[in-house]
Amino acid sequence: MVDLYNNIKQIHEAYNKKLISPIELTKDYFQKIKASKHNAYLTLCEERAMQQAKKADQILVQTGQVPHDRFPLLGIPIGIKDVLTIEGVRTTCASRMLEHYIPPYTATSVLRLEAAGAIVLGKLNMDEFAMGSSNENSAFGPVLHPTHHDRVPGGSSGGSATAVKANLCIAALGTDTGGSVRLPASYCGIVGMKPTYGTISRFGLVAFASSLDQVGPLANTVEDVAKLLDVMAGHDPSDSTSLRTQKINYTDLIQTKYDLKNLKIGVPNEYFMGGLQPGVDSSVHSALKWCETQGAKLISVNLPHTKYAVAVYYIIAVSEASSNLARYDSVRFGVRYPDKAEQDLVEFYKKARSLFGAEVKRRIILGTFSLSSGYYDAYYKRACQVRRLIQQDFDKAFKEVDVILSPVSPTTAFKIGEKTSDPLQMYLMDIFTIPVNLAGLPALSVPCGKDNEGLPIGLHMIGPAFGDGKLLAIANAFEKGFRINHG
Amino acid sequence: MFTVNEDLTRKIAHLARLHLTEDEVKTFTSQLREIINYIELLEEVNVSGVKPLTHPFELETPMREDKISHYPKTNEGKSKILDSAPEILYDSFKVPSIISGE
Repeated sequence: MVDLYNNIKQIHEAYNKKLISPIELTKDYFQKIKASKHNAYLTLCEERAMQQAKKADQILVQTGQVPHDRFPLLGIPIGIKDVLTIEGVRTTCASRMLEHYIPPYTATSVLRLEAAGAIVLGKLNMDEFAMGSSNENSAFGPVLHPTHHDRVPGGSSGGSATAVKANLCIAALGTDTGGSVRLPASYCGIVGMKPTYGTISRFGLVAFASSLDQVGPLANTVEDVAKLLDVMAGHDPSDSTSLRTQKINYTDLIQTKYDLKNLKIGVPNEYFMGGLQPGVDSSVHSALKWCETQGAKLISVNLPHTKYAVAVYYIIAVSEASSNLARYDSVRFGVRYPDKAEQDLVEFYKKARSLFGAEVKRRIILGTFSLSSGYYDAYYKRACQVRRLIQQDFDKAFKEVDVILSPVSPTTAFKIGEKTSDPLQMYLMDIFTIPVNLAGLPALSVPCGKDNEGLPIGLHMIGPAFGDGKLLAIANAFEKGFRINHG
Repeated sequence: MFTVNEDLTRKIAHLARLHLTEDEVKTFTSQLREIINYIELLEEVNVSGVKPLTHPFELETPMREDKISHYPKTNEGKSKILDSAPEILYDSFKVPSIISGE
């Protein structure tokens, strides 16, 4: 039954026609998840989900039809990246450090989805503390690509992307610090969005790099991404960086047909300077060409500081991480060792923090280095200065254009193990997604093709700050109109 | 300048309160060297007069009323917070002793 549906509208139609009930659908999903080999879920919330399904059933019995105004996500089965807390449900961040952590509160993003009627099936696998581009850094084993099992799904929200594509949920939440929603969405062939920084509350999101982290939805269609964003966006007093901008109805906005005629599309020269896998290059170019046939204007723009973005990111993100992860001290979280009486305090901390995996340790060390006395000015401060130059590049470009299009990643999904020994090569996979986080902009990945092995390619759409609605409208028009060439 | 060597890795790991095995020291030193070489790319950027950007929108810190409120509000809430700690004592987090008995 599950495989009859891959978006919210289809499920709601089935509910309205009484073809299936939320309880039946939820049971089917758990059956499918348990039979799957993808390692997408870390924790299943079966009892909790069945209660939510029961409640959805009752609402449907009372109302007959899905009451979209009050419960826009009624009975929609979703998955949550295991970096967002749910009260009473284990939240691990795919780390041994939090293997047994039961949070006392629920993330605002999850709270709002549940209030809208969504059913949370479970917590999704990821790179440890959201650090990684391949999902190989999970302490609980890698997530497999949904269709090519020798490949990575991308990271760090790899469980989220695989779960959506393999239909182990209808939509999922991920988080995006340097591309962690958009990269796996691209590698798995679904839609993933990082909204403008501050659009979705970070309350209950376990912090990696606070000035970059943003929650983002992943789904099969742009419309579903808009629906989730609608429910989650809006000011939250529990997050001091939550935006106080006026509420926009994204779903209504994309319902009105968006005309690409006279749309000014920026094509950044620096993003097409070679190094792209041939299939990626040709797919993105045919997408651009299609936009042109719809009357859009392609305008070449310069983002001259692009080549510094990865370096800036790997100073700022790791510096913030080294500070954020200082809290894991085995006093409030973690595991304690029995021979503690023998230890002094420093040894006590060191032993406790051995629970971190290699990538997390590597980043804490790099961050501690950048912030330590003698290196601060040359690294952290300079990186923050170049960050401003990167933001100014975008400001300038968006004076000329409405949207910027590029590939999401230079390649399609790579093989498991291919890049694990070379962290720098792994970091460079995020070259096109990182600048967006540094500048705080909204961006999304929408499928635009496949390479000769059938691996999906994502088109990266970047909008100006607070331009999330228009970005979704453009993506929706592209998704509806563009025919993907399968090969 | 400085060189990235195993002593630097050990010193930084100590500051970060991370215990590294000798193998890790070796691997991290060579990876750190490579990454730091790469990020030194930033030296060629002219940043004179550029104000550092630490947050995308440079918002003002929102202030709340200076009023005492209790969190958690209930004993149940308190135990939920303590539940995830590896060791608790008298409704509190237990920390290792930092003053010797002598």
